Amino acid sequence: MALIEIQHVNFQYPDKHERVLDDINLIIEEGEFAVLCGTSGCGKSTLLKHLKREIAPHGDKSGTILYAGTALADLPDRVAASEIGFVMQNPENQIVTDKVWHELSFGLENLGLDTMTIRRRVAEMANFFGIQQWFRKSTMELSGGQKQLLNLAAIMAMQPKLLILDEPTSQLDPIAATEFIGTLQKLNKELGLTIILVEHRLEEVFPIADRVVVMEKGRIICNDSPQDVAQQLKAFDASHPMMLGLPTPVRINNALQINDIVPLTIRDGRNWLTKHFTNELRALESKLSSEIPPDDIVLEVKEAWFRYEKNAQDVLRGFSMQVRAGEIVSILGGNGTGKTTALGVMSGLYKPYRGKVFINGKSIKKFSNGELYRNNLAVLPQDPLTLLVEKKVQLEFDSIIDVLGISKEAANVQLNEIITTLNIGHLLDSHPYDLSGGEQQKVALAKVLLLNPKIILLDEPTKGIDAYSKEIFAEVLQALKKRRVAVVMVTHDIEFSAQYSDRCAMFFDGNIVSEDEPKLFYSGNNFYTTAAHRMSRHLYDFAVTSEDVISLCKHNQQLEQTTTPVNV
Amino acid sequence: MKAFETYHPIVLFAYFASVIGLSMFYMHPVYLLITCIGAITLSLLLNRKSFVSGLKFFVPMFFIAAIINPLISHDGEIILFYIDYNAITLEAIVYGFAMSIMICSVIFWFGCYNVVMTSDKFLYLFGKVSPALALVISLTLRLVPRFKHQITIISHAQKTIGMDISAGNPWQRVKSGIRIISILITWALENAIETADSMKARGYGLKNRSTFSLFVFEKRDGFLLGIILTLLLTNIIGSYFGMTTYYFYPTFTELALTPISIGLYISYASLLVIPIVIEIREAIKWRSLKYNM
Repeated sequence: MALIEIQHVNFQYPDKHERVLDDINLIIEEGEFAVLCGTSGCGKSTLLKHLKREIAPHGDKSGTILYAGTALADLPDRVAASEIGFVMQNPENQIVTDKVWHELSFGLENLGLDTMTIRRRVAEMANFFGIQQWFRKSTMELSGGQKQLLNLAAIMAMQPKLLILDEPTSQLDPIAATEFIGTLQKLNKELGLTIILVEHRLEEVFPIADRVVVMEKGRIICNDSPQDVAQQLKAFDASHPMMLGLPTPVRINNALQINDIVPLTIRDGRNWLTKHFTNELRALESKLSSEIPPDDIVLEVKEAWFRYEKNAQDVLRGFSMQVRAGEIVSILGGNGTGKTTALGVMSGLYKPYRGKVFINGKSIKKFSNGELYRNNLAVLPQDPLTLLVEKKVQLEFDSIIDVLGISKEAANVQLNEIITTLNIGHLLDSHPYDLSGGEQQKVALAKVLLLNPKIILLDEPTKGIDAYSKEIFAEVLQALKKRRVAVVMVTHDIEFSAQYSDRCAMFFDGNIVSEDEPKLFYSGNNFYTTAAHRMSRHLYDFAVTSEDVISLCKHNQQLEQTTTPVNV
Repeated sequence: MKAFETYHPIVLFAYFASVIGLSMFYMHPVYLLITCIGAITLSLLLNRKSFVSGLKFFVPMFFIAAIINPLISHDGEIILFYIDYNAITLEAIVYGFAMSIMICSVIFWFGCYNVVMTSDKFLYLFGKVSPALALVISLTLRLVPRFKHQITIISHAQKTIGMDISAGNPWQRVKSGIRIISILITWALENAIETADSMKARGYGLKNRSTFSLFVFEKRDGFLLGIILTLLLTNIIGSYFGMTTYYFYPTFTELALTPISIGLYISYASLLVIPIVIEIREAIKWRSLKYNM
């Protein structure tokens, strides 16, 4: 029986002309694991919110949504609250109370259940999700992954029949994200729970989904099994924004336009490559980036040791690094290895108790605050909203120009140049909070660029933004590179760093353990490497991005065509 | 985990309410002695560290309060000497010490109360009276550390664009401070919408909300609560009939040693030693468990 049936739903926000949802028809069967994807602003989140009556957005809506045969609007309050569970993007904001056990019982209290029932359900959930160890802890002490797991558990305690999740892993690190997706799969397989998931990290969820729904501009463009959707997407251009989010094997298959079963996982991808391609040409000619003169060092850290408190453990242990002008460096590594602290030391926020930091050859201690952060060094924080105050984007720029105390004309020339580079001209009259994550980031970056920095430090710039916005952001980085700005970013995003950085460094135990240009760096790693490399390393060397693999495949295809007649 | 703390919050609250309530009004020397010994022993058992470190503050306070009284009050019949033609009487000195003992004991009781009645127990008790208020307190307990954390993040971010409160002239610093607060407030309001959504999505606002807690009212809780209330009642009745009053002025009343008054002393002492007995019994139990293992 169809659990959810969406019939001709249209929706439009007040005062907006375009429809966010345009004639949506969708049936979700009971026990299905459905993944909803599309670029940001395609209406997928809006559609999800319509499925949860309590938080449905206000606006002009038509059409009906049936839940188990009843119109959603006619469901009794209690049923609507308990049977449809909704997990949101930000783990922090969803937690209501101060104690883990209280959070688990919050929904059950609202339903007015008696103590014995609540006790039992809470115990069940704590067991299923492995929460026992932190059951009595305060919610503030948990890690991001634990918080999101708690949110899921708190909703599962209400025993929903339908679980809706809006990008639940976007704020988590890759390990916590994989664990979370694994839990969802377990819920679906073991309890037969119906799940509707919006995700932009499709690599993991695409193969395990029963149904993939692709949306674009408020319409559903594909709605089928993952295999069939992957086939249907071949009709689209490979550079279509939608394609960027797909799993690597699917993208490679699509780009090469071979008509057989599309590989969805790395394992299938490996077999598929072996089946279709030879490896006479093992590696592409490497273009080693030797254009940068090695003496142009703008940022140097020498043997820095740092700890937060006198009696605490060292976070940085002899951390050394050199960054040259016009270079993009990625610092990668697991959680809690001290990457973000390293960034703090480079930016002068934290002072190492031993070792030195040099900016343009001058010790960071000799800079006054004003000097250091003007024309020298700038940091783009993880949350761009911590930089934005005003009601309009334009006012943001005005305010910082005011503080800088440079002439209006000079500033405007500079500002216009930045606005064109970042392509944010159309956002100037919007409120910063109304922008998408990627746009907010660009505005914050523009604000930072007004300080005319030679070095920019980025803290997880690709966290929580979709594949298309990442691509745009990468273009911005390239533009900065042309202006000979040095970029250092701390990131979990292996694929992004492989594609766009000049150098990757692995951070572990308070220090950099290995450092190389991406091709060598990732082909030297066995586990900590890109999907494209894991998929192709049995055939090719140094292929770390899907573009590498695609062009190698094409070369080998051509080789095959020219050589085959000779052999015959 | 101390044994006494494991009792139900209602029992704990009843104990402290009656002990603090009674010891605040008793100026009878025997009662004061019992109060003082009880409060110090329990403090040593429950929060030795902060009690001992607090002594350097309480001992001087004790003497100062005791000395001030005879300087102000000159009532009493036993005059020891004169300062500036003002009589210093024995009654006033003793009364000063009695006052000090009472005040210090009450402070010690509150110290123990703080250790035993943690925020979630307090919240649970309040939840019985007003569930809405209890939820608001719980929300606040979560928000305050969150705000603190966020304000550090914001000021770090502002610092790295050179706009924090440590740069520029005083006027710019004030402006920077205001800017940081402004960002925090916008952030808080924006996020509060999502928290509200999360509450609504989980059925907040439905009728007949219940409150859940991890505390279970066991048989032993009922038993102990019964004892506490009986002893409390005994002492209140005793006070009602004037058995516990004692006068320092004009001169000391005689200490009554009738069977009834001795009974009352014992009942008061028993009330106070309840947690001490529980702790000691538990300690012995664990010792024997350890040896028998």
